[in-house]
Amino acid sequence: MPTQRLFERIDSIELQQVSKKYGSRYAVESLDLTIEGGELLILIGPSGSGKTTTLRMINRMIGPDTGSIRINGQDVMQLDPVRLRRNMGYVIQNIGLFPHMTIGENVGLVPKLEGWDEKRTNARVRHLLDFVSLPPERFIKRYPRQLSGGQQQRVGLARALVMDPPLLLMDEPFGALDPILRTQLQEEFLEIKKEIGRTIVFITHDIEEAFRLGDRIAIMDNARLVQVGAPEDLIFDPVNELVADIVDTKRKFKHMDTLNVKDLMTPLDAKYILNGGVDACDAVEIMKDREIEIGIVFEKGMLAGKVEMVNLLKCEDDRPFLRDIAKPMKVFALRDSVATALSEMKRSGEYVAMVMDGDTVGGMLVSDEVLLKLI
Amino acid sequence: MAATEMILNATWEHIVLVYTTLLASILVAVPLAFASLYSQRLASVVMSFANLVQAVPSFAVIAIVVPFLGIGFVPALIAIMLRALLPIIRNTYIGLTNVDPAQIDYANGIGLSEWQIQRYIRFPNAYPAMFAGIKFSAILANSIAVLTAFIGSGGLGEIIFQGLIGYNTEKLLLGAIPAIVLALLIDLSFTLLEKKLTPGYIKQ
Repeated sequence: MPTQRLFERIDSIELQQVSKKYGSRYAVESLDLTIEGGELLILIGPSGSGKTTTLRMINRMIGPDTGSIRINGQDVMQLDPVRLRRNMGYVIQNIGLFPHMTIGENVGLVPKLEGWDEKRTNARVRHLLDFVSLPPERFIKRYPRQLSGGQQQRVGLARALVMDPPLLLMDEPFGALDPILRTQLQEEFLEIKKEIGRTIVFITHDIEEAFRLGDRIAIMDNARLVQVGAPEDLIFDPVNELVADIVDTKRKFKHMDTLNVKDLMTPLDAKYILNGGVDACDAVEIMKDREIEIGIVFEKGMLAGKVEMVNLLKCEDDRPFLRDIAKPMKVFALRDSVATALSEMKRSGEYVAMVMDGDTVGGMLVSDEVLLKLI
Repeated sequence: MAATEMILNATWEHIVLVYTTLLASILVAVPLAFASLYSQRLASVVMSFANLVQAVPSFAVIAIVVPFLGIGFVPALIAIMLRALLPIIRNTYIGLTNVDPAQIDYANGIGLSEWQIQRYIRFPNAYPAMFAGIKFSAILANSIAVLTAFIGSGGLGEIIFQGLIGYNTEKLLLGAIPAIVLALLIDLSFTLLEKKLTPGYIKQ
């Protein structure tokens, strides 16, 4: 029986004052959390902190005692659980491949139940196996136990994607894999994430995985949400000791004070350089060709400021020259402290700054990249 | 010629009795085992009853049927069923409950309905154990069907009893040998069937 699509895309998932008790103990207590459409939100925290319970309340595998969970404004408790779950991909740590079905049957099970004909199911299964780097002709007829752990996890991912769900729920999907394999699958997953652009809720206990994959990270402890924010928010503004501990602020960033801008800057790639005499509409074309979203404007060899693609798109009215509309940007010297530079950038909400060595360009300081170099 | 015809008739009666009983046992046992999944009470009642009947000697089970149901084909069928039911129920129930809970949980998570979980997950998992139970019951039914000749079921048992009563060794063997051959054939055919029906994931 085909079930009707509940949502084509996720605008938001809102958890409001959600609590769940087992006996006298809260598994989740007064949780307020909004997951935005298109983001990858990480849930992280000590075991028993309520991560899995939270995830399983989103697909109604656990019903909350109080509070509401709304997807695009619809309360999940009002929706048919089977239909709801078929609109979500679900990946768990121990994968849960059905041992009595071949890889092809495992991936194709839900399409079959949805009444797809064999040809369509087969084409979809082959496409997805290809997508997760498992050549279909070699794998489609095998049984799960003939596959390695990493291969099984790939099948798990393919299976979660089979109905093309707008939402993926992933409960420590790479948790059981050895570190090298985990890193490799994370890399591949990042590629997949880019390609599919879905909303993903992802549980992990590995903070490096969280930094690597997450757009935002929600830290849970003792049934409560402690802090949620982008990685740098957690690193630079941990609300308490636990968050600092989890993001390991002390160990990883204690040497921040001793680092200079020079140590962590990136060289200025020529593709970012735009001439101040170019008009905005031409600049849009140039930026499109170079696949850049931000440009650094120079006028007669001097830094004039930065322009962003989004601001240039309405160029038709008066076709201004870049030198006149370039916005000033922060400039640091090679010997400035990275910690100071980053907190200044964070305060003004900028993610890129210039590094100058006297009058010549030293490079760029990109806040995300600085973080990646540090962790 | 009359002897051959008598043996063939008796063998046929025997086969009909054994397989009718087996079929009836499957039809009763499998739904009972499924139903037991949903009710702990039913599960314990069914299991203890089946165990109790298993403990009673076959001949006593046959005897106890007569005051209630009289003699003939149907009472014989019921008597055999009482004994043949248990292996199927027990194996099916164990097979159904021995599924990795993570699999059931995952099946729920991807949006399988209760019925679909039974159909696609539990049943295929229980299937090898179920088949072993059915095979055991078939052999059991074949041996008890010899005894039910006493209560008028006909079959090979009747020839054996006539042979025993009349000290007629020849007649006795004419009944006993086909019964033994039948037992071997049942075992062989079920073994072959089992091989053929074993799911790929166990074979490979």
